[in-house]
Amino acid sequence: MLEITDLRARAVGKPILKGIDLAVRPGEVHAIMGPNGSGKSTLANALAGRADVEVTSGDMRLEGASLIGLEPEARAHLGLFLAFQYPVEIPGVSNMEFLKAAVDSRDAALEREAMSAASFVKSAREAAERLQLTPEFLRRGVNAGFSGGEKKRNEILQMLLLEPKLAVLDETDSGLDIDALRTVAKGINAFASETNAVLLITHYQRLLDHIEPDFVHVLLDGRIVETGDKSLARKLEADGYARLA
Amino acid sequence: MTAAERFQERLLDDARISPRYAPWLDRGPSLAALSETPLPEPRSYTWEYSNPNPWYEQNARGTDSRPNAGKVVASGDTRVADFDAADSRERGIIEANLNATIDRRRYPLAAVNDVLLCGGVVIEVPERARGAQIELRDLGGSFERALLIVGAGAEATLVESPAAPTHRVVECLVGTGASLRHLRLQGAADSFEYQLVSTRVEAGASYRFGQYAQGSGMRRNDVHIESAGDGADIGIHGAWHLSGQQHLDTQINVHHRISGGTSRQTVRGVVNDRAKAVFNGRIHIAPHAQRTDAALSAKHMLLARTAQAYAKPELEIYANDVRCAHGATMGEIDGDALFYLRSRGIGEPAARNLLIAGFLEEAMADHGREEARALLSPGSLQPGKLPRPLTRKEVSAFRLPADAYFHEKLS
Repeated sequence: MLEITDLRARAVGKPILKGIDLAVRPGEVHAIMGPNGSGKSTLANALAGRADVEVTSGDMRLEGASLIGLEPEARAHLGLFLAFQYPVEIPGVSNMEFLKAAVDSRDAALEREAMSAASFVKSAREAAERLQLTPEFLRRGVNAGFSGGEKKRNEILQMLLLEPKLAVLDETDSGLDIDALRTVAKGINAFASETNAVLLITHYQRLLDHIEPDFVHVLLDGRIVETGDKSLARKLEADGYARLA
Repeated sequence: MTAAERFQERLLDDARISPRYAPWLDRGPSLAALSETPLPEPRSYTWEYSNPNPWYEQNARGTDSRPNAGKVVASGDTRVADFDAADSRERGIIEANLNATIDRRRYPLAAVNDVLLCGGVVIEVPERARGAQIELRDLGGSFERALLIVGAGAEATLVESPAAPTHRVVECLVGTGASLRHLRLQGAADSFEYQLVSTRVEAGASYRFGQYAQGSGMRRNDVHIESAGDGADIGIHGAWHLSGQQHLDTQINVHHRISGGTSRQTVRGVVNDRAKAVFNGRIHIAPHAQRTDAALSAKHMLLARTAQAYAKPELEIYANDVRCAHGATMGEIDGDALFYLRSRGIGEPAARNLLIAGFLEEAMADHGREEARALLSPGSLQPGKLPRPLTRKEVSAFRLPADAYFHEKLS
């Protein structure tokens, strides 16, 4: 599904990723953990194609297709989805309008028949309900005035509607209370299947109490320094990252 | 002699001939104002960023009257009369109210409009009428005038969507406790336009004004709104989207004369290519206008390095118990928001258009939202198809023709 080989990247001129190797197969859930500044968000942004992250060498392949040099929208059309750590507020553009534009762009790029307005509204409402969001929420401006929890749930809502092959969730658990965390985790679990894959980027182990990862990787100073199963996350929670430094 | 002076001299000379349109209407006060007040010059006060000279040049070519163009659609028991066909009662109403709200020394081009008038209507909404709908399209020529009187307690909607570019002065008198929603839609044009909306809002009345514009060669929109009674409530929404070499100059003046009034101004402008937007939002609070609550928010988004916007909020406050807030910003498309949309698979052009539409949406009032969206959505602009504005050379080569050019109107 995803193959990252010796990926090196700079952000605002500074080398951040110093040779990442990672392979994610369909049906797998991978967690990437690491302290602040270890390069977790840079990795997510490098995958999504943010302009201020400059990949200097190495490769990232999604189902065999290299992502290097592709526009962000082209990566999305290939099946990549990034749930933002800080979702952007766009007042004036309604959530519904935004979601429809995203789904329509995907369908056009994949030469699928466009969804009718009625069936789109129906599936958007269903997804919102699953995340315990009222229909009113779909009429509001994109993330405008949303609480932290609502913003994160809105990211998951987009993921459910866009049905990506690979979902990269950047600190989706941060800023969530226990109930919201449970709702978001439920959404992610409902999404995960044998045909897609999830890359969870997180500081803390608490999200992993609700979503069971197949692999846990520790990112430190731009490199993956340890890989294990979910027990590694518990160990990190108990000992901290200092042991690995 | 400047272009303005030449134009003014010609105008006053020709005005000795009695006018063909509505000859009964007394142009005396307007001519008197014009004989004492200089016309705007390039860089004169409030014309710092807009050159009026092409306007003089264009109108020195003569006025254009379209005798059968008059298009006013009004519902219910709203009365509409053309100035030219007004009966004695209607003439009395016009004489008593026309220019009641306009300081011709401040707005001398409104006085020019009187002198060169080609078509005018008086519209009366009776007291306590509900749901009156008035649509003003083409009033019959290049210099047009509308006088709308909304009776006490009445409720009316006025929509302006001129079919042809005009110079138009619209005066609205919103009676005690009445409510007027006023929507203006201005499409793209290549001409030079001057338009004035002048409204007086009486006690307890509500005035909602929405002005949505593309640009033209030079379009100047003056808006003067007077809060003239206790508790008058004024809401102004303005949005514009300019491209090509369009030029739009909007000058809004809200004058709080009496206590307890509220006013809100929200404007959003998007400027692309080599276009230029000028905005001046003025709030004047007179000494007696205590407990006034006024606010102004003006934001512009520039889409190209060559695009220009000038925005200035001005407060002039003579009362000491008021609330008055203002803010003006200049920005560009938010790169983070653009990346967010693109990461969802929305291509860059579509993502930019969504952000532009969202930005303008903040200045769209509930009434006329659909019409305003349709007018300003990025897809509806066709800068490539815009008629060509005058070149700099053409503008500088401008001379007033020697022969009398107002014969069409005045002889």
